[in-house]
Amino acid sequence: MNQIPDTGTLHILNKAPGHPRFVACLAAMSNQDTLILIENAVLALPDTDTVLPRQTLALEPDLEARGLSGTAEPGQQISHQQLVQLTEQHPRIISW
Amino acid sequence: MTTLIVIDQAPYGSWAGREALDMVFSLAAFDQPAALLFTGVGVNWLRTAQSAKGVGQKTVEKNLSAAPLFGVEKIFAEQEACERFMPDTSSRLAGIDLVASVKNLMTQYDHVVFAG
Repeated sequence: MNQIPDTGTLHILNKAPGHPRFVACLAAMSNQDTLILIENAVLALPDTDTVLPRQTLALEPDLEARGLSGTAEPGQQISHQQLVQLTEQHPRIISW
Repeated sequence: MTTLIVIDQAPYGSWAGREALDMVFSLAAFDQPAALLFTGVGVNWLRTAQSAKGVGQKTVEKNLSAAPLFGVEKIFAEQEACERFMPDTSSRLAGIDLVASVKNLMTQYDHVVFAG
């Protein structure tokens, strides 16, 4: 997994692309923040209409469920355990 | 009386899509002509190689592939949404009829019902 600086905000998003809160989340992100896509939000990876921030990760079981295991870039796919570690590393978390 | 059931909800994120699938199979079981239409993020139900064990659910791929056997007449998908989410046609389930205009398709059915 890429080395994620723990200064920024961690955004956890479970809404599908097109959902109003999906758009609001991307708009609220700053450069040093990290975005984690879970549940319906992982559909953003194959979505040709969505541009994702550089520091974007996606939860492995949700990708697998939706037949998207091959679409994540190296180091972009994380397990539940890694998700928990990230929540410990970040002082501020927003669950959208 | 013909029924078109529209699934515009993403797969596995809520039960709405699955309930709509149950509805269409029930209609078909009672010999009511019914068809399915997937639109927007709902087309993501139609991707191949889904494996939902990790999220504690069953994959719907088999149900969809068996739909004609159960009497579900047609499975439609919004063309624009398929090109957006699944540009690679090999990642789409077989036997799906692409629809350019959802509006036109809806005019061909007596009842149109949305999932969720």
